Parts: sequence; structure tokens; C-alpha cells
Amino acid sequence: MTATEVLWWIFAAAIVVTSAGVVFSRSVLHSAIFLIGSMAGVGAMYVFLTVEFLALVQFLIYGGAVTVLILLALMLTRSDPSGRPEPVNGSQLPFALLVGISLVTTLAAVAIDTVWGAPGEPANVAITTVSDRMFQAFGVPFILASALLLVALIGAIILARQEEGE
Amino acid sequence: MVPLENLLVLSAIMFSLGVYGVLARRNAVLILMSVELMLNAVSLNFVAFAAYLDPDKVLGAVFAVFIITVAAAEVGLALAIVIRLFRNRATSNVDEAAIMKW
Amino acid sequence: MGAEEAWLLAAIPAGVFFVLAIFGRALPRGGDYLGVAAILSSFVLFFVVLADFLDTPGKIGPVINDVEWSNIGESFDLRMGIYIDPITITMFAVITTVALMVNIFSIGYMKGEPRYYWFFAVLQLFAASMLMLVMADNLLLVYISWELVGVCSFLLIGFYWEKRSATEAAKKAFVTTRVGDVGLLIGIIMLWKATGTFNIQEIIHLVEEGHVGQTYLFAAVAFVFLGCMGKSAQVPFHVWLPDAMEGPTPVSALIHAATMVVAGVYLTARLLPIFEYADGALLMVTIVGLITALLTGFIALAQTDIKKVLAYSTVGQLGFMFVALGAGQPAVAMFHLMTHAFFKALLFLGSGSVIHATHHNQEMDKLGGLWKKMPITGTTFFIGSLALAGIPPLAGFWSKDEIFVVLNEEWGIWAVALLGLSAVMTAFYTTRLFIRTFMGKPMDQHVHDHTHESGLVMTGPLMFLAFLAVTAGFVVFHGVGKGLGFPGGMTEFIFLPHHGPHKYHFDAAWALASVVMGGTGLLAAGWMYWGNSTAKSTQLAESQPGIYDLLRNKFYFDELYQAAIDRGMLGFSYVVSWFDRYVVNDTGVDGSAQVTGFSGGVLKYLQTGRLPNYAMAVAMGVLALAVVGLVVRG
Repeated sequence: MTATEVLWWIFAAAIVVTSAGVVFSRSVLHSAIFLIGSMAGVGAMYVFLTVEFLALVQFLIYGGAVTVLILLALMLTRSDPSGRPEPVNGSQLPFALLVGISLVTTLAAVAIDTVWGAPGEPANVAITTVSDRMFQAFGVPFILASALLLVALIGAIILARQEEGE
Repeated sequence: MVPLENLLVLSAIMFSLGVYGVLARRNAVLILMSVELMLNAVSLNFVAFAAYLDPDKVLGAVFAVFIITVAAAEVGLALAIVIRLFRNRATSNVDEAAIMKW
Repeated sequence: MGAEEAWLLAAIPAGVFFVLAIFGRALPRGGDYLGVAAILSSFVLFFVVLADFLDTPGKIGPVINDVEWSNIGESFDLRMGIYIDPITITMFAVITTVALMVNIFSIGYMKGEPRYYWFFAVLQLFAASMLMLVMADNLLLVYISWELVGVCSFLLIGFYWEKRSATEAAKKAFVTTRVGDVGLLIGIIMLWKATGTFNIQEIIHLVEEGHVGQTYLFAAVAFVFLGCMGKSAQVPFHVWLPDAMEGPTPVSALIHAATMVVAGVYLTARLLPIFEYADGALLMVTIVGLITALLTGFIALAQTDIKKVLAYSTVGQLGFMFVALGAGQPAVAMFHLMTHAFFKALLFLGSGSVIHATHHNQEMDKLGGLWKKMPITGTTFFIGSLALAGIPPLAGFWSKDEIFVVLNEEWGIWAVALLGLSAVMTAFYTTRLFIRTFMGKPMDQHVHDHTHESGLVMTGPLMFLAFLAVTAGFVVFHGVGKGLGFPGGMTEFIFLPHHGPHKYHFDAAWALASVVMGGTGLLAAGWMYWGNSTAKSTQLAESQPGIYDLLRNKFYFDELYQAAIDRGMLGFSYVVSWFDRYVVNDTGVDGSAQVTGFSGGVLKYLQTGRLPNYAMAVAMGVLALAVVGLVVRG
């Protein structure tokens, strides 16, 4: 087993642990912090897959922007100032467990069972290649995505705005 | 390097954990976080497939970028909705936002 | 100008109809002169067509046949045209002559009536449709004209629509004939389906070549004949014609005696080759004609309304024509049609003259002794009565005599006996009608005192028609026919191509028999009613109250139909309405709504409004799809 593989296994374990932390942690704040770990782990996976650009984006947007946004939202919606403990799980917890386990079993079984053609090795992808593709072949979707972001921005503002008389 | 299956199983675990979170938890913000987990699992899948199976190796990254973009928009909007919900009903518990029924 | 212009005969009155219908109200005198002029031009044009027709030997057939009407692909190429043969010519003669006389008569009779212009307008429409009907070369055009004359009949029967009885009669006439018309339409469609054409001559040709199966052909012919029975008021459709007398009397003369009601006879004569090829069809025609002639003869014996007597007489004479057709002799039928048209129009116009003079009195019980007061009407009516009774040498004698001859040849003496009985009754009730109206002492002195002879505009047509009622029968003779342009006379003028002409020869024995029949009825009636005395007849009626009531009430046909409608139709309607209420409405419409409502009421609880529940449903659905996909893939 090479050093890279050892490192990979360590990161994979970290992702599983932090992800589990996100959904099983009793405190929402802890969940948010676990989420940062999980995101970072996925970013590391991108590094292993030699897509450094994507890893960078992952760190910046997920590790930075999205997490901060979530923390802000948590701050704004801190429920029950009296500190009365609430059950964190809904009534369908057993079903959720069942669905989750069935899903992971099915997906893993399919992933392992399928013969995935001739597997190549990950090769380095230059940032310029990604950018060329994104701005040329996917130019229109790219522009649409920016429009989407703008609409989402405006929509979020309108939704969250303090209305008169509130 | 590890085989493709390892990555796929990893992403499957991540995705299923996200599904569990969405289904089981009551806090709206936490549900959003679970959704982010699922999205990341999917992105990882795309990139892994691209790296192992696609001679071009670029498409997966492009897809992932788009997913991140859409996810960002989604998080922004969803959190605005959560804040709205909290302001109107003083809770971020999805079980209590149940007036859209018979 | 020639036969090719025959379409003008119908086109001119049709045009005048539109002019009168739209502008008639504003025209001086309601534009009656336009109506008369239109018919007069048709009358004149008829002679042009006739001259051209007679000048061209063997000119039988289509004169216009290439007008494209509708073309829906290869299989449905509809062409209309005009077909002129001796039958059409005869019908032309009858229609134009009687229509002209009636139009002139109406100027006097309808004077001062409300909707004067409308009366003339519809008369023109009727003339146009009727002329179109007899020259149409295809069944579809026949059907359209057929319905058009029906509409005119409806409009004119209900002319006095302020009177409830008139609207009821119009409705009855329309509905009753419609029943037959549905049959006609079915028959036409059946013939079209079997032959692929509406053209009458092509249909006849194809039938003669045996392209149509025997049973199928009989069914088609029977349906067509149903339409003819309805239009020509044959039993059991006869009930509408006596009620149709609610219309103005000139209308009764034109439509319900001389022309429209003979449309059935015309169409049967036109299609007679097809009838001959359908086994039993001719027998059917004969039986219907015989039954009609007999039944209406009996009924007419006990009627006291002069127009009703004439109406039943008309139905009976139409039965005579069908009997002639049933014997396979279109010429004889058309001959009787023509003579009957003249003398029956005369009788109706005569009764119109009486009604007009007595201020709308048409009950025999209040008339009598009018001959002295109305010499011209009385005399012409006398001539018409004798013609109807079949007294030589008047027109009715020749045609009726000929019917007996051909009937004997075709179906034997039993049929002649039945028809002879009807002829005796015809003579009887005609004589009774005449005596009770014109002879003896007046029954109602007041009515009598106010009676006066009608003006020339009314007596003129009477005299002209009386002339025809005397002379029209002579066209059967070779010499007369030759003088007029058709050697051999009437019966050699009209014939079925594969039979050849039916040669007329005077048979003294049959003529004697015929005279005896007419004379018996005439003398019996004279003995019973002489001097307008009802003593003997009242005594007879009282001695046989059952039979008298039966005849008086027209064999209870109306009551029978009413009962059939009440019991059968209403019972059936009740079942249908029950089905509609409980099965269609409660079960089908309300039921499905209730099922939807109920299931919605139950299923709505699935909508918890809780986000996790929906998410769970989605997740489980995805999982199920994945599992199914895996299982299918194996």
C-alpha cells in the first residue's frame, strides 16, 4: 500500500466520521462544524483525483461561504431562548434509518457489482483546460448560472426582508 | 491509487447519511446541511467517474462547478426561507410548519 | 329555348318567393300579381318544354346532368341535373295548370286576409319545390324538394296560426309525414350504399343488372315506399290529410289534393322498375292502395264537413293510383293522377267558393240549396262530382276504368271487387256531398240568405278546371293524343322501357261495369238524400249505431295513435327517464362525483403538510425504483 493510499484511507475515514457527525450530532452548531470537516475532506478527495482547481473552489465556497452562511442562519434562528431541550429527531427516525441503510447497501452493491470498463488512472487536469471548457462549450450554461445566482440573491433578499408592520 | 469502487462506496455512504439527516432531523438548517452532504457526494461521484473513466477527464470538474453554483444559490434561498419561517412562527422546526394540508 | 331551360320553371317561382317574402309586405296588393306572373311564366315555359319534348322523337332522358354539386374524393362525386321524361311532363302539366288556377282563385278567396303577401310567397316556394321534385334526376335532390314541399305544406296548413286547431294540424301533418320521410331517407341511403350513386336512372340500371340483393332491395324499396305512404297519406299515415284542411281552401286544392300529396305516387312511378325487381314490392303497393281506398271510402260516408269528405276522397283516390302502380302500370297511375288533379282541384276550389260565399261555413248540416244562389259554382261542382264518381264521359271515368282493367290483368278479380266497392262508395259520398250542399232546401236559412255567387276571379278557374275535368280523360285516345303530339294517347306516352307501352283499347264490358259501380253509388245516394233530406240516413245511422260511430270517428285511428303515444311512448319515456335519473344521473354522473369526493376525503389525510413525510415518500420511491431496476436488470 503506497503512502498516497494510506493518506486516502485516512481522509475517507475522516469524511465518513464528520458526515456522520453532521447528521447524528445533537447540537446544530456541532453539526455545522462537522460539515466544515466533511467539505474539507471532499476537497482533499479532489486533490487525490488531481483536480486541484475544483479542490480550491470546494475549500473556498463550501468551507468558507456556505458554512458561514449556515452559521449566520443558525445564529438568527436560535430557537427557544429558555433552553428547553427539544428532541432533535422526528417521529420517523426508524424509517429514516431503514431507508438510509437500504440506500447505502443498494448503492454500494451496485458500485461494487458493476464492471466499470477499463479503469484509467487519474491524470492531472490543468486549470486552463477546465476554464477553456467552461467558457467555450459551456458558455451559455455558465451565463445562465450567473443569472440564476442573481435571481437567487434577489429572491433571498425579498424573502428575508423585514416587512413594514412586522 | 485506490480503485474507483472505493470512491463510489465513499460517496454512497456520504449520500445515505445525507438522506438519513433529511428524513430524521427536525431542524430546518440541519436538513439543509444534510442536503449539502448529498450534493457533495454527487459531485464526488462525477469527478471520480471523470477521472477514472472519461479520457477527457474535464467534464466531471465542470459539472461539479455547476453543482456548487446551484448549491450556493439553493442554500441562500433556503436559508432566507428558514429565517422567514422563524420570524413568522418562532421556530425552525419543520414539523411545526405543517399548515399546507387538508 | 327548349327542354334544357326546364330549370327555369322552378327558378322563376323560387326567385319570386324571395322577392315576395322580403318585399311583399311593402308591395301594393301584397305582390299577388308577381305570384300569378311567376306561375304564368312557368305555365308558358311548360309549353315550350313540351313542344321541344314532343318535337324530338325519343327524347327521354337527362337534359342537364353535369352540374357538380359536391365532390368528396373519388368515391363521392355528387352531380345534380334535370331529367325529363313523359312522367315529368305529365307532372309539369298538372302542377303548372293547377298552381296557376289556384293562384288566380286565391286573389279572390284570400282577399283581405292577414299575411296576404306571405300566402302568395309560400305558394311560389311550393310551386318551385314541387317542380324541382319532379324534374330532379337524383334521389338527394328529390329528398330536398320533398322536404321543401313538406315545409310549405306545414306553413300553409298553419297559415291561420292564431287558431290553435290550425297549428295542431300543421304539426300533425309535419310529424306524420316526417315518420315516413325518415323511411325515405333510410331507403335512399340503402340504395346509395348498394349502387354508389344517387342518380335515379343509374340506380335503376344497376338494379336491373342485378347488382342488388333481393332481400336488401326489398327492404330499401319498402323504406322508400314508407316515405311515399307518408306523403301520399296512405293508411296508416292518412290521419294528417283531413286535419290539413285547416289550411286555406286554395291550399287544400293545390297541395293537399292535386300536387304535393301525389308526390308519393310520382316517386313510386319513377322508381317502379326497382319495385318490380323487388319481389313482393308491387303486392305491397297494391295492398296499401286497396286498404286505403276502402277504409277512407267508409270513413267519408259519415263525414259532414265538406272539405273533410273531399280530403278522405283524395286519400282514397291516391289509393287508386297506388293500386294502378301496384299493377305495374305507371301510365294508368299518372293518367288517374292527372284527371284526379283536375277534378279534385275543381271540387276543392268549388268548396272554397262555397265557404267564401257562406262566410266560412263548411258544415253540410248548415248548407243546402245553393245551386240557385251560386249557379256557376254549383254547375262546375256538379261536373267535378260526376268526374269523381266516374260517370262517363268525364275524366274520372276513363282513368278509373283503366285502373280496373289493369288491376284485373295483374291481380285478378278479387282486387277489382274490393276496389269496386270503394268506387261505389266514392260515387255515394260524392253525390251525398253534392245534394246536401247544392240541392233541396237550405238547412240554415240565415246562411242561405247571405250567400252570393263569387266573382269572376274565382269562378274563372272553376270553369277552366271544369273544362279539363270533362276533357282531360280523352287524352287516353289515340286520336286525341296524336292531335296533341303524342300518338297512342296517354298510356302509350308513359311506359316502362322494358315493358313497352300499354295499349289502350276501349272495353265495353269493363266500361259497363265501371258505370254500374258509379251509378249504384250515385243512385243510392240520390235515393237516400234526395231533396236534402236526412231522414233516411238518420234512420239508418240510428239502426246501426255501432257502425255509424265507427265511421263517424274515422275507425278511431286518431284515438288509437293517441293511445299508442300515451301508453307506448309515455311508458317508454318513463323507462328512459327512470334510466336517465337513476342510472345515468345518480350512478353515472353523481356516482362518479361521489366516488371522487369520497376517495379524496379519505386520501387527503396523506397530505400531512409535514416536510419530512414528503421527503420520506420521495426517498422510498427512489429506493423502490432502484430496487425494481436492479431486479429487472437481474
